[in-house]
Amino acid sequence: MLIFRYFAPVLLVLSAAAYGQPGDAFIVSGIAGRSGGTLVFAQRNEPKSLNPAVAADSASREVMHRINADLIHINRETQLTEPALAKSWTVSSDGLHYVLNLRKGVRFSDGHSFDADDVVFSFRVYLDEKVLSPQRDLLLLEGKPIAVRKLDAYRVAFDLPGPYAAAERLFDGFVILPRHILERPYLDGKLAEAWGVRSPADQVVGLGPFRLKQFVPGQRVVLERNPYYWKLDKEGTRLPYLSEVDFVFAGSEDMQVMRFQTGESDVISRPSARNFAVLQKEGERRGYTLKDAGPGLEYSVLFFNLNDSPAAGNAPFHRESFRRAVSLAIDRDAIVRLVYQGRAAALSTPVPPGDKAWVNDKLPRIVRSIPQAKQLLSADGFSWAPGGSLLDPAGKPVEFSIVTSAGNSERVQMATLIADDLKPLGIAVHVTPLDFASLLNRVFQTHDYEACLLSLSEADADPNTDMAVLLSSAGNHLWQPEQKTPATPWEAEIDGLMRRQMVTRNRVQRKQLFDRVQAIVMDKLPMIPLVSPYILVGARNDLGNFRPALLDHYALWNIEELYWRGGRD
Amino acid sequence: MKRRCGFLAVVLAPLLLAGFLAPYPYAEQHREHPYVPPTAVHFIRARPFVQEDGHLYPLRLFPGNGRLFGVDPPAVVFLLGSDAYGRDVFSRLLYGGRLSLATGLLATLLSLALGLAAGVVAGYFGGWWDGLLMRGGELAMALPWLYLLLAVRAVLPLHISTLDSFLVSTAIIGAVGWVRPARLIRGVVLSGKERGFVLAARGFGAGHGYLIRRHLLPLTAGVAGTQATLLIPQFMLAEMALSFLGLGVGEPVPSWGGMLNEARQYHALLLHGWLLAPGLAAIPVLLAFLLVADAWLFRRSE
Amino acid sequence: MKYAGRRLLHGAGLLVAVSVLSFLLAQVAPGDFYSQWRGDPRISTATVAALRAQSGMARPLPVRYGAWMAGILRGDFGYSLAYRSPVAPLLKERIVATLLLTGCATLFAWLIAIPLGIWSATRTGMWGDRLSTAATSLLLAIPDLVLAIALLLLAVQTGWFPTGGKESRGYSRMGPVQQLRDLAWHMALPVAVLVLGLAPVLVRHVRAAMLETLDAPFALSARAQGIPRRRLLFRHLLPAALNPLVSLCGVSLGTLLSASLLVEVAMGWPGLGPLFLEAVMARDFAVVLAVVMLSAVFLVLGNLAADLVLYRIDPRIRTVDG
Repeated sequence: MLIFRYFAPVLLVLSAAAYGQPGDAFIVSGIAGRSGGTLVFAQRNEPKSLNPAVAADSASREVMHRINADLIHINRETQLTEPALAKSWTVSSDGLHYVLNLRKGVRFSDGHSFDADDVVFSFRVYLDEKVLSPQRDLLLLEGKPIAVRKLDAYRVAFDLPGPYAAAERLFDGFVILPRHILERPYLDGKLAEAWGVRSPADQVVGLGPFRLKQFVPGQRVVLERNPYYWKLDKEGTRLPYLSEVDFVFAGSEDMQVMRFQTGESDVISRPSARNFAVLQKEGERRGYTLKDAGPGLEYSVLFFNLNDSPAAGNAPFHRESFRRAVSLAIDRDAIVRLVYQGRAAALSTPVPPGDKAWVNDKLPRIVRSIPQAKQLLSADGFSWAPGGSLLDPAGKPVEFSIVTSAGNSERVQMATLIADDLKPLGIAVHVTPLDFASLLNRVFQTHDYEACLLSLSEADADPNTDMAVLLSSAGNHLWQPEQKTPATPWEAEIDGLMRRQMVTRNRVQRKQLFDRVQAIVMDKLPMIPLVSPYILVGARNDLGNFRPALLDHYALWNIEELYWRGGRD
Repeated sequence: MKRRCGFLAVVLAPLLLAGFLAPYPYAEQHREHPYVPPTAVHFIRARPFVQEDGHLYPLRLFPGNGRLFGVDPPAVVFLLGSDAYGRDVFSRLLYGGRLSLATGLLATLLSLALGLAAGVVAGYFGGWWDGLLMRGGELAMALPWLYLLLAVRAVLPLHISTLDSFLVSTAIIGAVGWVRPARLIRGVVLSGKERGFVLAARGFGAGHGYLIRRHLLPLTAGVAGTQATLLIPQFMLAEMALSFLGLGVGEPVPSWGGMLNEARQYHALLLHGWLLAPGLAAIPVLLAFLLVADAWLFRRSE
Repeated sequence: MKYAGRRLLHGAGLLVAVSVLSFLLAQVAPGDFYSQWRGDPRISTATVAALRAQSGMARPLPVRYGAWMAGILRGDFGYSLAYRSPVAPLLKERIVATLLLTGCATLFAWLIAIPLGIWSATRTGMWGDRLSTAATSLLLAIPDLVLAIALLLLAVQTGWFPTGGKESRGYSRMGPVQQLRDLAWHMALPVAVLVLGLAPVLVRHVRAAMLETLDAPFALSARAQGIPRRRLLFRHLLPAALNPLVSLCGVSLGTLLSASLLVEVAMGWPGLGPLFLEAVMARDFAVVLAVVMLSAVFLVLGNLAADLVLYRIDPRIRTVDG
């Protein structure tokens, strides 16, 4: 699955007064809970590393974000930025210079105090060309790095190399590293090896609500409450409420579901719609509640290989009419019903409906129509052989394979349905499931494929997210990555629109630009949007403050506020 | 023996007659009927009916489409329920059985032939041959074949026809599966060649070919027969693993392994138990093979 | 023991061959560890290229092989790109967990198979044998993975067994007896799946081997001489039937590290299985190679042990090789 970062366009200058309490603590707004108890969360895999600078897998990030904190955070509920370790910030009038005022009196989980040196050190690590952090590219704007300067012990300046809308959202996810622990390994060139799964627990130090207590390889990570955490509730109780969080590694989604069902795990995040149905049957008896949060920011697309490789050559899918006909022939409602048991939304634009602010809702809903599809094809020179199979303008029968990831049964099922949908057009479609690495290798490296079905996922609602796919020069420009110059006039137009929206500050103007982009994509259909699955989660009935989000870390994003209503051991 | 062969024939016949016995083509989707449990057949005055939306539709024999039975739409008859796409599990079971059985038998034959050859040569000639073949076997067992399979997948065309994928699967399974029978057969040959009657025959000047054919191969029959009965079920369902690598026959063509792959998901087992049908269908088939193999071994030892 | 020495030498040669071929196979598999990163839009192609260069995977194959081999000789099994860590420490607990599982399962399977196989061989054609044949073919027809899920379903519905895992929370605070009980409780289902998969195979082999010897002339004459049945079975027939069983036992020993990989994944057992399969799919070659090499060592030793035993118990073999 592709994961997109986002940068949303909200420009806020927050004053320190709103959040500056004695000791500069952050006061959360949720219901005040009770302290104590353990939360068990069964996740699929084992984290590979707890090192924020190098970990790239989602299992690691899930745990890592419980023991670390960033400067400016995106509240997963409001989807707006909120001050975290930076209690306030100011932006210069040209939008190029940010000054962040750090919270005073904050301590790392080992009691060591936090200041601007830790911030400067952290960004030095993230930007280092030798560390090669997977997050590094996010700090480069048009190839140039953001500069970080210490102004004094509690003020840090960030200078952008060029204008960038809503740059403060960039800070989310860049967690602050303890200089007093990691500087030595960093200077020795051993930073990547630090904080592996076998590091001593007291060496892994962060600013998050929890700290590492024990790592049992292959089985579980146990986190304990960070006694120095900088958030308080309304009543002045220091967060987090839970005294321990136990991440157990279930191994597969089915095992996650079973463990949640039996009570061996307290929270489940994003089971498949089918497993959700299984869980629904027994919720009452087993004492858990399930929530369907509606469409999120993930969606699936079918795209064709438009690279000029011999495999594709003059394939019919280079013709717009053909792609439009295919899109018209796909029964998205059947996908929603059969693959997602109704828990997904059919798409008519390459922006998922969870992204409410940016969806172009003037684009017409796509209604399946075989006659219309046939009309489009015959108008462009396609014809049909006596047996009913479609012939391209050169008279060759039309046939193609859809590659998709074999490990994901939903995608294989979507491809199978699409293959059946295209039969009435006389197109022979074959479903070719491949393992994920082989699939990505074909799509991005060898370009040896015809059509591919993949899921994309945005971490938030913002057009900047889509730059990595829509820009013709982008590495993830799915259908033809890394173009030197835009291959088609419409790709050039999209490039221009996307670049303009990136530097446009007016939200209405940005929306107009992005609406136009969506309209072009839906007209040329280099990728055909299919459906967007709903965000499904569940938790024990007595887990307080459980409020699932549509963004990443759907269930545990507010872990510091979670508490057991009845108290629990 | 005759009775057992008869049983085997009775078990295999439905698979061979799939085109006639199955009420639907294997890929036909009835999207209004996903995950339908087995259709209830109502007998009214000894005539079968199925219910659909409160109406009764007669189950017809020879409905005129070249199939044994069927029902007029919009009614459906799914004797073993339907899958996620509303495809008839019964029809898929019959069609899929042919492919799985053919794969199982052919791959077993291949790996037994290889195993027998390697085992006899290694055991009989011993020394250099033995070392080479047995270490070769160990090599074959130790290698990360998955990578070879992925590489094979990468060089094959995107779309592999059912026949090609059948041949590829068979070749792959057979090539990896010869080692265990080879080792067991080698052990038997190793001790067999020093038995009195073999030594005697050699003393009379019997050639290698004669000795192997007349005296040693018969000794291996027990092990080989047992191996065959063990390998057939394994290889029949091997599709389960291959489809994950994109080497199996793939959707929408059915195979028992592929169908079981779907059935082994938690939700399927819990809510749609009928998807396990291929697992149950495999039991009588295997039993029939076992019984025939047993009878054959018994006859030989008589 | 010239024979054993020669075999050990062959074994070492085999390990070298395994390592070379595995290296080649890893090379021909499509994609590498950073292929997956290539699909992450947050990471630019330039960064992925730099990571590839940094990892040294662009060096020519012989150079990489040489470096890896030199590492092995120093006891260093390579570097996992996924874990950002040397491989050896990642494997330790995993190997123990896997051996615990397969060791128990293999032991139980043999303990069931030998008496059941003998019993069924002495009753050919009777209902007891038929029942056992039917039961074994039933088990053979059900793939391990389906069996695993079915047993887990049972665990969920009854609550008698945990759904996966190896230890309960707070395992480290338990007393030794409690720890043992906890471990056994967690092992019950995975061991059951493995035994149900292994035992039918063994039963069928034991039965076939016994049938063969039951019909041998010496057995007939012994029976005619009126040697008590039990003594005949265990003192005379079983040793004679041992030959194929010893080979099989060698295979059993040889596959201790690899027999349970898939079942471990299906049942959430923290052994080599999940680590290995994840590494295979992620193309984390150092981990894959380390597991492959370790399994190869087991295989070589298992087969060597079997051959040495064969050599000892079967005088007919000794005359040739001695």
